[in-house]
Amino acid sequence: MNRKSFIASTVALGTVISPRAWYRTAPQAGDPALVIPPYLQYGDIIGIACPAGDIRLEEIKPALDQIEKWGLQWRIGESVGKKDFVFGGTDLERAQDFQQMLDDPKVNAILCARGGYGAIRIIDRLDFRHFVEKPKWIIGFSDITVLHCHVNRNFNIASLHSKMCNSFPEDWSKAESGQWQSILSIPRALLGDNMSYSVQPDPNNRMGSARGQLVGGNLKTLETLAGTKSDIDTKGKILMLEDTGEYLYSTDRMFWNLKRTGKLDGLSGLIIGGFRTKPDDPGEEFGRTLYDIVMEQVRDFNYPVCFNFPVGHQKENYAMKLSVVHQFEVRPDGVTLTALG
Amino acid sequence: MVKIPPYLEPGDTIAVLCPAGYMSESKAAACLETFTQWGYRVKIGKTLGGDSQYYFSAPDQDRLDDFQQMLDDDSIKAIFCARGGYGITRIIDRIKFKQFKKKPKWIIGFSDVTILHAHIYRNYGVATLHAPMASAFNDGGMHSEYVLSLRHALEGQKIRYQAEPHPFNRRGKAVGELVGGNLCLLSHLVGTDSDLPTKGRILFLEDVGEYLYNIDRLLYQLKRAGKLEKLAGLVVGGFTECKDTDRPFGKEAYEIIRDIFKEYAYPICFGFPVSHGAANLALKTGLGYKLIVSKTKVSLTE
Repeated sequence: MNRKSFIASTVALGTVISPRAWYRTAPQAGDPALVIPPYLQYGDIIGIACPAGDIRLEEIKPALDQIEKWGLQWRIGESVGKKDFVFGGTDLERAQDFQQMLDDPKVNAILCARGGYGAIRIIDRLDFRHFVEKPKWIIGFSDITVLHCHVNRNFNIASLHSKMCNSFPEDWSKAESGQWQSILSIPRALLGDNMSYSVQPDPNNRMGSARGQLVGGNLKTLETLAGTKSDIDTKGKILMLEDTGEYLYSTDRMFWNLKRTGKLDGLSGLIIGGFRTKPDDPGEEFGRTLYDIVMEQVRDFNYPVCFNFPVGHQKENYAMKLSVVHQFEVRPDGVTLTALG
Repeated sequence: MVKIPPYLEPGDTIAVLCPAGYMSESKAAACLETFTQWGYRVKIGKTLGGDSQYYFSAPDQDRLDDFQQMLDDDSIKAIFCARGGYGITRIIDRIKFKQFKKKPKWIIGFSDVTILHAHIYRNYGVATLHAPMASAFNDGGMHSEYVLSLRHALEGQKIRYQAEPHPFNRRGKAVGELVGGNLCLLSHLVGTDSDLPTKGRILFLEDVGEYLYNIDRLLYQLKRAGKLEKLAGLVVGGFTECKDTDRPFGKEAYEIIRDIFKEYAYPICFGFPVSHGAANLALKTGLGYKLIVSKTKVSLTE
């Protein structure tokens, strides 16, 4: 039985995994400047905070239950339960809460409660000095892309692109396999497991082999970071993109922004995750599909491209270690993405 | 110093085309007729009308060729974009401005045309015209003060606009080159070759149909990219047809804008009639203006 299904079955049954299995030292990736936060150990603490959207205490209970099943502890931040319209508290409250999570040496990882909107309003208030001395995993996706990009660009510290508290199902028996497997990929990543994903081939994939740091996240968020201190450099990297709720013309425009800000020409590889596009209004049919939009942008290059990678605003949203070097293989029989570290 | 294209004389030719979205010739009929009544000749580009089934007026290459041809034709004194939509971003890097630099002409439009305004100002220092497009002439619109403001601008009349005071206004005087346009597009251009310089300028902004949280987000981008801190002044136009998420954002568009800009000291006026709505005064962008925001009035003078 392989490790992945072993973990999936035992955790789903609610058993606590033997602590001995989780002692791991963080393997180092190829890039000397890259820093991978220490992988977690049995009993380590995951802090829960709301840098963006708000969440109620009841809503994070399924996540707290799961964290315990993983053999870890949780700490609830002050911003959980706070609400300032769409935000988890005022900018100051959210920044302060995230700051204390960053600075507390006892917190080994910060799991963002949800995305939404708001990380960009606090990013410049955060002081990352303690974080740089004692890095920890920052976990989330969507609006949390702001944090991932900022930390990658400024400190080259790895972080975890994955589901957040608001995606943990209350009733696991009703959850789809893709959903709970995605959630279980979080402790696998945090605890230092070998992270390697195999994905079904898509007829639009472009074959090839690549190795590079994995960067990216939400496309719209990436566009709004252009020209700022959180803007990422993609040269020689594998860029991963997902988005939701955008029209095709808007998606096309965002890809043109990537192109015109030089983010597509030096890539090692391109991973297209879930793109839940808004249907075109009648009479405003864009006339191109997502495949058309992407392939047009990459036609002058040779790097491998894959579609329908299981990340994004959907049930299948597997944990991806951003900034870590990955091996990316796109072959006729399928795609593999393996973290080397 | 920004170069001012020659103003139009009777008998001059205006080219009318669609560099982005599709517009039928019938929808532009009132505008074509009005240009003729004003004493101009009209040259209709291949991208106005036509049989495009999809989003754009024509494929990229055709839109590019049409625009390039009109740009290089010295007998054309102004290029009027009949509509915006989406599409200029796809061709902007392939437009050659060599002839345009030697013999500048007025580039007219707004919305998606913001890309042309920003690109031309940044790279070539030529004034352009942010102004109503073809649909503004329909349903009697050709007699409106807004369409007439376009006429006056083309004829070379100096701009002197007054606007009603708004409770969010911040008093002061500013002198600077007027630049700006559609907020979403200005954000989209950050970090590209068309990125709009704003230091020491008077920035004007408008938008339509945006989610409120997105207006906040776009302004945060401009702020973080250093585009808002050293303005001479700010002119806030219409933010019309705003949308809100199921969980309300909690602020109206002008409140969002007011809060983003509150840390700065320069004058700001809200409610200036430049927008995707009916109120859309022609603005010669790139030229120097004086903005006076007082308790009782707002004036923008070339």
